[in-house]
Amino acid sequence: MIRFLHTSDWQLGMTRHFLSEGAQERYSQARFDAIRTMGRIAKEEQCRFVLVCGDAFESNQVDRKTVARAMEALKEVSVPVFILPGNHDPLNAASVYRSSTFIERKPAHVQVVENAAPIRVAAEVELVGAPWLSKRPATNPLEDAISALGPADGVSRICLAHGAVDTLTPDRESAGIISVAMLEQAIIEGKIHFAALGDRHSLTKVGDSGRIWYSGTPESTDFRETQSGYIHIVEIGDGTVASKGIQIGQWRFIERERVDLNTADDVEALRKSLEEIENKDRTVVRLSLVGSLTLTLSGALQNHILAANDVFGAFDVRADDLLVLPDHTDFANLGFSGFADGTVQRLRSKISEGRDEGTVAREALILMLRLARETV
Amino acid sequence: MKFIRLRVANYRGVTAAEVTFGPAGITLVQGPNEAGKTSLGEAIGLLFDYLDSSKHRNIEAIKPVHRDEGPEIELQAESGPYAFTYFKRFLKKPETTLTVTRPKSENRTGREAHERAEAILRETLDIDLWKALIIQQGDAIHQPNLTKQASLSRALDKAAGGRPADPREEGLFDAVLEEYLRYYTERGTERKDLAEARKALTDAYAEVARIQKAIRDLDHDIERAASLQRELGQIKKQEEELTKERAAHTASLEEIGILENALSEARLKLKSAQQSEQIAHRDKEARQGLIGAADKAAKAHADIEESGVMSLAALNQAESKLKDAQTAFDESDRKRKGADALAVLRRADFDYYNNRLHFEQLRERKSRIDHARKNAAQAEEILARNSVDSRALKSIQDAERGLLTANAQLQTGAPSVLLRGLADCHLSVDDAEVSLSKGEVRTISVADTSRLSIPGVLDIEITAGASAEGLTRKVEAARRALGDACAKAGVSTPDDARKACDDRREAMRHVESKAQAEKENLRDLTYEELDRRLRGLEQSVPEYLARRVAEPPMCPDLESAKKERARAEALHHETVSQWESDREQLDAARSVRDVWNTKHQESRVQLDLLAKDLKNACDNLERARQSVTDDALETSLTNAVQAVASEEAGVRAAETSLKAKNPDKVKALAETAKGSLHTAQNRRNAAHTELTEVQTRLKIHGEEGLHEKLHGAQTRLDHLAADHASLLRRASSAKCLFETMREERDKARRAYVAPLKEKIEHLGRLVFDDSFQVDISEDLLIVSRTMNDITVPFDCLSGGTREQLSLIFRSACSMIVAKDGGAPLILDDTLGYTDPGRLRLMGAVLAKAAKECQIVIFTCVPDRYGNVGEATVVALT
Repeated sequence: MIRFLHTSDWQLGMTRHFLSEGAQERYSQARFDAIRTMGRIAKEEQCRFVLVCGDAFESNQVDRKTVARAMEALKEVSVPVFILPGNHDPLNAASVYRSSTFIERKPAHVQVVENAAPIRVAAEVELVGAPWLSKRPATNPLEDAISALGPADGVSRICLAHGAVDTLTPDRESAGIISVAMLEQAIIEGKIHFAALGDRHSLTKVGDSGRIWYSGTPESTDFRETQSGYIHIVEIGDGTVASKGIQIGQWRFIERERVDLNTADDVEALRKSLEEIENKDRTVVRLSLVGSLTLTLSGALQNHILAANDVFGAFDVRADDLLVLPDHTDFANLGFSGFADGTVQRLRSKISEGRDEGTVAREALILMLRLARETV
Repeated sequence: MKFIRLRVANYRGVTAAEVTFGPAGITLVQGPNEAGKTSLGEAIGLLFDYLDSSKHRNIEAIKPVHRDEGPEIELQAESGPYAFTYFKRFLKKPETTLTVTRPKSENRTGREAHERAEAILRETLDIDLWKALIIQQGDAIHQPNLTKQASLSRALDKAAGGRPADPREEGLFDAVLEEYLRYYTERGTERKDLAEARKALTDAYAEVARIQKAIRDLDHDIERAASLQRELGQIKKQEEELTKERAAHTASLEEIGILENALSEARLKLKSAQQSEQIAHRDKEARQGLIGAADKAAKAHADIEESGVMSLAALNQAESKLKDAQTAFDESDRKRKGADALAVLRRADFDYYNNRLHFEQLRERKSRIDHARKNAAQAEEILARNSVDSRALKSIQDAERGLLTANAQLQTGAPSVLLRGLADCHLSVDDAEVSLSKGEVRTISVADTSRLSIPGVLDIEITAGASAEGLTRKVEAARRALGDACAKAGVSTPDDARKACDDRREAMRHVESKAQAEKENLRDLTYEELDRRLRGLEQSVPEYLARRVAEPPMCPDLESAKKERARAEALHHETVSQWESDREQLDAARSVRDVWNTKHQESRVQLDLLAKDLKNACDNLERARQSVTDDALETSLTNAVQAVASEEAGVRAAETSLKAKNPDKVKALAETAKGSLHTAQNRRNAAHTELTEVQTRLKIHGEEGLHEKLHGAQTRLDHLAADHASLLRRASSAKCLFETMREERDKARRAYVAPLKEKIEHLGRLVFDDSFQVDISEDLLIVSRTMNDITVPFDCLSGGTREQLSLIFRSACSMIVAKDGGAPLILDDTLGYTDPGRLRLMGAVLAKAAKECQIVIFTCVPDRYGNVGEATVVALT
């Protein structure tokens, strides 16, 4: 019986352009924190080692500070850590794993899987990795690694690999695709007992054997991820395998599509729903707005958006389908009758013509409304 | 607002003064200087502007002189719905009271009264406009400042389109302008912020591009490093293979070298033997050449000798033939000459007869001509004498016919006597003897008197009656006419005339036949030429006979001469042909003789030369044989041929051995292997050098953190782009708003300026002429005046005109705002610059304005306003 922590896709050094500077720093820090958390959980769960199945780094060209901070975090992991180079951080001539910072600061218990040679981590456990040596290999390195293997005699052989599997990828012809059938055949033949995969950011079981898993990324990276923010604890026994995911991610990506805004109540409802979101500074929100608002309601919405911008990790609003149309109520209370009224009428006319001029005219009208309210 | 009454007391130098204004129109307040006119005008403003407790210098300034009392101002007025009396005492025992009587009664005092009065005024009157319209002393030529006059603007807006502007709109416009100026200068150029934002964005794009390029370069280096390492592995393997290959080739090449040396040696020996054989061959050929030359010379000599004998015989034969030909030719020549002479003679004979015939013909032709000429000359003489031409003859014949006609008429008309012979008898009729045979009947016409006498028998005289007399006269007349005609023609009777006419015609024919004779006989000659030829022939023909040779004899006539000539010419032709044939044969024989003669001479010369050659060749051969015999030469050649065959066999054996080793292939392969190895080494060195460079670059740039730098730059770019877009959006919206609002404002101003311009021009045409126009700026100022198409800027007009325009302007404004309550127009001693003529016209302007608004005029010169129409006149003393 052996237990280990399976993880991948730390994507250290990943940045998100929609994040503000402060949020980006929090976002980066969360990834380093995740390593420490993994160390703690590995210890708590009595894991013998940690397998990082590719893409520990977002790129080979990450900043040396990122490498240094990662090494610092890894120091706090008390069990051996095996890092497999993936497609983001392949073991090529400019590999981060050959950088001076990595070499100089790497803790002793951290080992890079540089080739497919079996690594005996314990008397009864053997690791076989299929590192990526370049970004675009003709075939997944796993194929060669499996081919070279004979039956595992007397050891539990765990395979570390990185890449998309053919059963979950529409483009099955693309380079680097892993054949699930091949893996399952290797399992049947007793060449391997568990395939710890990386690349997919959601914790995912592959096939029905229960021996092929993606661990997912420990911190969410995008809106479309379903089971991200997890680590995977695997226990292999004598002919058995058991695993569980533990959520450790701090960041959330929330996307709401086609939020329909037409009335003051709609705007208020949106405000409230945003207000109710917890842990805002580690939450990324994306809203796609539809509907049509008056200038006044649009002004109110803008205020809510400005407020949200201040508190959320990132707040991305797409309002291309939200119409802002001035109506008589917008200027009714201002009592314009002279040239200001003429200005309003002309700008409204321009808005109705559409195009870029219409957009500018609408903003001009919103500005006029604001200035009028400040002036009058 | 309308003033009803104004009172001041203790006001500067005025102890007390009160003016009750007219219920409408003009109130003319007149009085001497220092009577308080200006003070009254000023007092209304002070009453509303200052609290009774005010110590403002304007209040201090109205303190009465030499009296310790407070200045008092009391105004009774109506404004909007309000009617009130407002009183203030300043400085001393200050007091304010406001008594409102309408719309509801109010009594207020102190500050409350002040504020209420102020409120009423604000509510019902555009205070700024009112103050602007007041003309104080010395201000008359200046235009009022009417910008931001709400009530005027409102009135003008109303007049322009009934949509009065809200007073706050100007404030909004200022705010919009302020917003616009955050992004643009007043001239419309972008401010620094926009340019800087754009530059920052451009820089950010450049930075992203730079890092992207660095990453691309890095990726390329990574790929290149892997590629180079693969290549180095391949090159190393290739080098090992090539090294082995080259060693094998080197061993083969050494063996080939030995065989090549052996082959070279064999070839050298062969070459030496071949040279010996060539020398033997050459010696033998030289000997054979000498022998051949001697034989050839002997044969040539013999041939020429034989040829010389033949050519001599041919030459002799040719000479003989030439001689025969010469003889034949000489005979032909002699015959030809004889035939020639005979032909010449026979031709001369023929010519003689011919000439003689010709001579006779010419002589006959000349004779015919001479005869014709002679006849013609005679005819000419006849013609000269005889003038009876056909016309003259006709005249005579006509006269003759007339006479015959008259006679016939006479005979018809005159009595006639019929004589019938009963027997032969003689009688005399009018003295003419007449014989009358038996049975003969003769009628005698008696024209006048006829006498018949039978001699001896009877004498009868018959006399015609009167009718016959006339006929007789006619006959006489006709006779005379005939006689005249004959006399004119130079003849005596018609018969003479007819003969003469025939003679003349004959003479004319002779004249005409002369030309015909000349033409026929002269032909193409002139008479003189004919004569000359005739004389020549006359001389030459007889001479020929004298000089002709005797033999052969002369032919008897022309025909025989002609035959002899033909015969002689035929003979001549024949002999000439024979002569030419003989001459050709002579030439041919001579040519043959010359050819053979030349050949014979050449043979003789050649024979001499060949004899010398033959001797030389024999001498040379003899000398060579004395040196080496022919047999010795043959033996030497046979030995040399055998030696060459032996050496050739040696060479072939060496070549076979070498060929078996395929030296070309081995050398080519060795060369290729060497080159390939060299190339591989170069490639290895180059790849190694490049790999080192690539790895160095990777070491340097690989740890720069380009990925995060790119993300950072991209993030910065995104933020900057968003900020820039936002800034641009704000700037664009501010610009759009400002420009739209400015256009609308300008449009509104232009619209509301129009009624004011119309009103001013309407009033102004009372003073100026009908072409009067003004240009009003958007700030409500008169910019220029135009009259008779001449435009003059306001500031360039004379003081008087400016004063008049200013007053017209104010009057127009007052009239415009009067409908909404309006403001009284207060004029303090204005029109001082205006001449008397214009004063009267300005009076009309004021009178017209006063129909719509209240006008208060303070003046110390009442005459100036003598033409303002109806006015309430208040005298201040």
